[in-house]
Amino acid sequence: MSAVRRKESHSCKVGEYFDSTEGGARVLIDLEHVYVSLGGHPVLEDINFTLKDRMFLGVIGPNGAGKTTLLRVMLGLVKPDSGTVCVMGMSPGELKGELHHIGYVPQNVLFDPIFPVSVFDVVMMGRICCIGRFRFASRADKKAVMDSIHIVGLDGLEKRLIGELSGGQQKRVFLARALCRETKILLLDEPTSGLDVPAQRQFMDLLTDLKENLGLSVVFVSHDVNVLAKHADEMVCINRAMHIHGKPGEVIGSDRLQEAYRCEFDFLIGAGDHHAGGEAP
Amino acid sequence: MLSYGFGQTALIGGILIAITCSLMSFFIIVRRLAFAGMGISHAAFGGVAIGIAAGVNPIVTAGGFCVMVACGIGWFSRKGKLHEDTIIGILFSASMALGVVLIAAAHAYNQDLLSYLFGSILAISWVDVIALGVLCALAVGFMVLFFKELLFFSFDEETATASGVPVRTVYYGLLITIALTIVVSIKLVGIILISALIVIPGATGLQLSRNYRRVILFSVASGIISVVVGLQLSFSFNVASGATIVLVMFALFLLAVALSPRRKYMMRLFGRQAVPGEAQEAE
Repeated sequence: MSAVRRKESHSCKVGEYFDSTEGGARVLIDLEHVYVSLGGHPVLEDINFTLKDRMFLGVIGPNGAGKTTLLRVMLGLVKPDSGTVCVMGMSPGELKGELHHIGYVPQNVLFDPIFPVSVFDVVMMGRICCIGRFRFASRADKKAVMDSIHIVGLDGLEKRLIGELSGGQQKRVFLARALCRETKILLLDEPTSGLDVPAQRQFMDLLTDLKENLGLSVVFVSHDVNVLAKHADEMVCINRAMHIHGKPGEVIGSDRLQEAYRCEFDFLIGAGDHHAGGEAP
Repeated sequence: MLSYGFGQTALIGGILIAITCSLMSFFIIVRRLAFAGMGISHAAFGGVAIGIAAGVNPIVTAGGFCVMVACGIGWFSRKGKLHEDTIIGILFSASMALGVVLIAAAHAYNQDLLSYLFGSILAISWVDVIALGVLCALAVGFMVLFFKELLFFSFDEETATASGVPVRTVYYGLLITIALTIVVSIKLVGIILISALIVIPGATGLQLSRNYRRVILFSVASGIISVVVGLQLSFSFNVASGATIVLVMFALFLLAVALSPRRKYMMRLFGRQAVPGEAQEAE
């Protein structure tokens, strides 16, 4: 895959934030004491963590742990009952005009297989917040779409109907859609679910390359602990409340991880070797 | 037909309605709103009955009533934790029942009511055509101005929301546009057959292409052809124009199914082997 390094073309607020903060210490997402309830039921309790610039953060937890809600809080789609959410120095309200800096890949896109849109059309949807209301796509928008299709390795498939692609290819299309804007933060909600092991591996390798080459900060939600242990810089385990936050080697094997999942784990083989080396017990 | 004034107004009015309904039809098909369209169109009977019973222009009351029903469908299905088809079934039957009760109470089972049920395109005036043109322009304007938002929302609502698309506005806007389109189409085919106008053209287009631009093009073309041919046939054979238009539309749909590159019926009929990728080339 050839790396495509994009021009820095921040809008005012994000540009100001990036200019006023240092690269390594720059915090892109900061959650402090966040509590969320949906329909009167508590979903997240006292969530605290930060996502630093160019960090790969893995969020793990069992089904129903509130992982997707956590992403929706970061996107400003769910308002916390209490606590503070700060994304690139902005509150969720201010973020509405800066969503083109955030790429989002949802867990499942339940679309009609005969929906008459091509790969190009689907990726172009990702440009919607760059094009603006009542405007049509420009040549620059079309080029950005083709560049994104290229970097996810789908050259030659741009005219194919989205419903004709394999599950792995569709995930790449949705990744390209999340990247074809001025993406600084990539939020992925179980993007490897439903993929076989080789397709999962290909997707994760692609993601790691993109993160390095494009300078992205990534929040990756999954319940597959092994996949994240190999690729994440840090991991957070939640099950309504935060159970553990640390390097993959610290998280793997922790009693608090088993407590969150409420079961014994046999994921120690190979886990954490990418980052932690001897840290994994 | 065009040598008569009523033929000219019918043709122009019909074409305006065909363009609006066929464009709308694309979103109804891809967003799977066919049942909602049917529900809103049948609910128009309640609105017409209110107008007849109250002595007000039934098209005006039908417009207000259909918009209310459309917003009710949207509100209940998004907030009321009821499936969309459930709430459509409830509102549609309740509106029809209201219509029957009001019509019976007003003793209004007459020719005028039948024209709303089965259409009376040949009876429209130039004033009607102008009013129709304004409403069609508003509906088409909404769909053109919000096209990319409607497409994104129809394909993947969650990511559209996360990308800043005002999905609630777009959803209610679409439902209200469907309601107004249905009301302006009452004159053409009547309440009972309107759903054909907002479903069949999109389905026809979808048989012929997998590119949304061409699907819309084929949809609009089939709508216009159906109106022109249907009106001419009804004029020549002295049969109901609304029903004839719908039958022509259905015939075009069957033709599209037969010619569909995806189904390859024609290739099989003429003994050719289906070649992989040929359907795509046909695009």
